[in-house]
Amino acid sequence: MSIVELEDVSFQYKGSKEGSLVNVNLNIEQGQTVLLCGASGSGKTSIIRLINGLIPHYYSGELEGEIRVADHDIKKTELYELAGKVGTVFQNPRSQFFSVDTDGEIVFGPENIGLEPKEIKARMNDVVAEMNLEEILGRSIFDLSGGQKQRIACASVAALMPNIILLDEPSSNLDFDSIELLRGIILEWKRQGKTIVISEHRLWYLKDAVDRVLYIENGRIAKEWNGEEFACLSEDEVKAYKLRPVVLEEELIKEIRGDCSSSVCETDPSIVLKDFYFSYKKRPYLILKKKFKESDGDLLNLNIPELKIPEGKVIGLVGPNGTGKSTFLRCLCGLEGDCKGKIISDGVTYKGGQRLKMCYMVMQDVNHQLFTDSVKSEVMLSLKDKDTKRCDEILDSLGLLEYKDTHPMALSGGQKQRVAIASAIASDAKILLFDEPTSGLDYSHMEKVAELLKRLSLSGATVIVSTHDPELISECCDYVLGLNHGKVLYLKESARD
Amino acid sequence: MKLDPRTKLFMIFVVSLIVMMSATTPFLWAIRLSITLIPIILLITEKKYASALRFLLAYGTALVLTFYFLSAESEGLIASLLIGYCGIVVQFMPALITAWYVVRTTKIGEFMSCMQKMHIPDGIAVSLAVVMRFFPTIKEEYSSINDAMRMRGVMFGGGNVLKMVEFRMIPLLFSCVNIGEELSAAAITRGLGGEAKRSSVVELKLGVADYLLMTFLTAATVIFVMFKYCL
Repeated sequence: MSIVELEDVSFQYKGSKEGSLVNVNLNIEQGQTVLLCGASGSGKTSIIRLINGLIPHYYSGELEGEIRVADHDIKKTELYELAGKVGTVFQNPRSQFFSVDTDGEIVFGPENIGLEPKEIKARMNDVVAEMNLEEILGRSIFDLSGGQKQRIACASVAALMPNIILLDEPSSNLDFDSIELLRGIILEWKRQGKTIVISEHRLWYLKDAVDRVLYIENGRIAKEWNGEEFACLSEDEVKAYKLRPVVLEEELIKEIRGDCSSSVCETDPSIVLKDFYFSYKKRPYLILKKKFKESDGDLLNLNIPELKIPEGKVIGLVGPNGTGKSTFLRCLCGLEGDCKGKIISDGVTYKGGQRLKMCYMVMQDVNHQLFTDSVKSEVMLSLKDKDTKRCDEILDSLGLLEYKDTHPMALSGGQKQRVAIASAIASDAKILLFDEPTSGLDYSHMEKVAELLKRLSLSGATVIVSTHDPELISECCDYVLGLNHGKVLYLKESARD
Repeated sequence: MKLDPRTKLFMIFVVSLIVMMSATTPFLWAIRLSITLIPIILLITEKKYASALRFLLAYGTALVLTFYFLSAESEGLIASLLIGYCGIVVQFMPALITAWYVVRTTKIGEFMSCMQKMHIPDGIAVSLAVVMRFFPTIKEEYSSINDAMRMRGVMFGGGNVLKMVEFRMIPLLFSCVNIGEELSAAAITRGLGGEAKRSSVVELKLGVADYLLMTFLTAATVIFVMFKYCL
């Protein structure tokens, strides 16, 4: 029998002009694993929110139709009654933790529903053993990598022993190996007979785990495949639906995992990086800071004596979570003052604060770097000569001219990212750095970013982009730079066609 | 050293109380100084040697300045600035550092359990826990925003103090509101705010260190108040 029933459901968020779901009918049987795919904003997340009751109880709006989940009429059920029945793993690891420590997080749910401490401890031990979490127990949430955070999120949901588990784009911030672990957790839940609904852009890791795949378009279920049909979809079909690939090429997997033989190719013309050393560990002396050398080895989180980076190309920076990609970017653009690296370009040496002027980093969370009250003033802030014509040119080239008087925070995620790129162009930086620009983006948005990165490099800038996204690499990267434990493992031409 | 959250709360209370009350006689100063030692010892147990040293120096300087160079009759800009500095260091720093230690060393689970033992309603306990949860988040967000400002060369808002604050506060507020909203959605789906009485896996027990510290703190308070107001 159906455990989730949506009958002719339509929903429109308060304050939005269009309906986000239109006449959706969906029955999910006990024990099924269902994948929801489709473009951003198509309504995948809304379906997840209907099943866990956040719509209509937390996100209000106009709701029509009937929703029954595990014999509860969602409209008449309080959210806390669903706590032991429906569990949700959210996309953003930063904002789904209530505790500051891992143990506290796992027991948080069971404590809320008032279970006996003995029972809670037994559940915690089970979950920890099942998901191999021993090594990350008793740690601060803020010290965990993205992959570890997501595993704790899964564990804290599992501790409530819900029959239905929902995952809302769980892999967005994960590297290849963490995704493999996530896949293992999903398969284990499937084996336990749980009903699983996953909304996701990355499809390859789910292809042999799902029973049904629903393609959502403009708030409707536009197409449905069963598991086998989905795994056999041809590359062209997948592209036509604007989905990310279902099958990954071996070569790309190796590249993205940093699993290639160590070699550094010579390029010309190139930008030379010298003496990039950095360590997060406490400096050994109280007052004077120690100057690091190559021989400090394991103490260093970044250890690059010399590296030649191809000029005017797009370079993909790859390697597992926590291997030093972000550290490399931060040191390169001079944000870590303790790193005394030099950048030599066209015979000119840039050190210290000068690096900040020649590099510009577009951060993963672009909200942090938009300060002003309009798109135009955002760009003008970076323009040295305050030339309005140049500002309009830049905005026009990024398709932002019509928004020039809009408040940046009122824009969509993709548009905000383009505003950040616009100010990067305005700042005349020679090296543009991007920290995981496509995590959580659907295929067509990812394609747009790839297109933009290529254009930036053609206009003369050197683009370095850290990423876990194999599709982005095959779309736009000319070179791949693999890091491992802060050291350069390889620099080679990308395997793209 | 592991202290019970109840002892820690009591410690914040006593340290702020005694440090805020003005000490008038050398004996009262002695009590006040011995209470001020508490945050310094705490910093050392947390292995923050450099911070402990810095605090000790700042506090010592402030004391010397207050006693030898400043008086009620001091005038002029430098003197008033110094009075402000000394006042803040002597009166607020000890309490601030104690509070920082408590927030840093108390797990949310321990805190909730402590609140339950003291029969504080769940509503208040949860709100306070969220505040504690938010400190590290604000710090993280603030430092990313600071990085972004350095990269764009607007650290000082182009010399405009108002802009300097605006550029920091606006993105900080936006991201804290967003995180807060997502955080509460996640917490509600895991049963926060239900009718069931919350339980707690953390079992709190007062140890020898707790009793000793509490006795010391109580005695210090009683003696301080007695000598100040009754004698």
